Amino acid sequence: MTAGSRTYRGKSGQWAFLGHRVSGILVFLFLLLHIVDVSLVRWPELYDDVHAVYGNVVLRVFEVGLLLALVFHALNGLRIVAVDFFPGAVANERRLLTGVVALTLVVGIPGGLVIMWPFLEGLT
Amino acid sequence: MTDVRADPREPVPAGARARRGRSFETWSWFFMRLSGLALVFLALLHFAITHILNDVVDTDYDFVARRWDNPLWRVFDWSLLALALLHGLNGMRWITEDYLRRPRTRAAVQAVLYVLSSALFAWGTFTILAF
Repeated sequence: MTAGSRTYRGKSGQWAFLGHRVSGILVFLFLLLHIVDVSLVRWPELYDDVHAVYGNVVLRVFEVGLLLALVFHALNGLRIVAVDFFPGAVANERRLLTGVVALTLVVGIPGGLVIMWPFLEGLT
Repeated sequence: MTDVRADPREPVPAGARARRGRSFETWSWFFMRLSGLALVFLALLHFAITHILNDVVDTDYDFVARRWDNPLWRVFDWSLLALALLHGLNGMRWITEDYLRRPRTRAAVQAVLYVLSSALFAWGTFTILAF
């Protein structure tokens, strides 16, 4: 990628653009894997064996990452729709992005704690 | 709507207003907004049910069997499968068009994306229907 031609020169908007793409790619890759793991449901024992692996600490951390990517992508997507369709949103796009990041953390941190709870409980 | 571009990342071309609404890319842009809005609801509700309200280890075979006993959950899951795959595929296509400059590399990567997504769409649909 040559500098300038394919990148936004904006400040926060450039990071929002990059964050949207990276989170989108992560969710897409997980979706491909998820279609395959759910398809194992045709073989109940195999499905349960493979599925038990998702309870592993490392995969729970991935699960929290998926939650953060999904929530950020969803909220930032709403921001994009707002900016595209409502002139008032364009004027406040930076404030909207702050809101997106804040809300991602507000939803993501408690959600992440719930996901990690069986592991955290074991530590105390 | 005042935006006449097929893709907001492109500059507004001269005479674009006349061609507005006709090109594939305009529909692709519009589809991303519509499917995105639907996916906010579908994907977040799905995640909340299977990862927050229920622990991931509890979503075993019995859990899936109980849920898919209700055809409405199958419709829900299939809608999520179809929209998420198409939304993701179109996003990946935009990314290849932005960053892969060599036509042969771009065509090859896009071919892999199309084949993989079609196969997984068929596989996922079969999983939901044949259960």
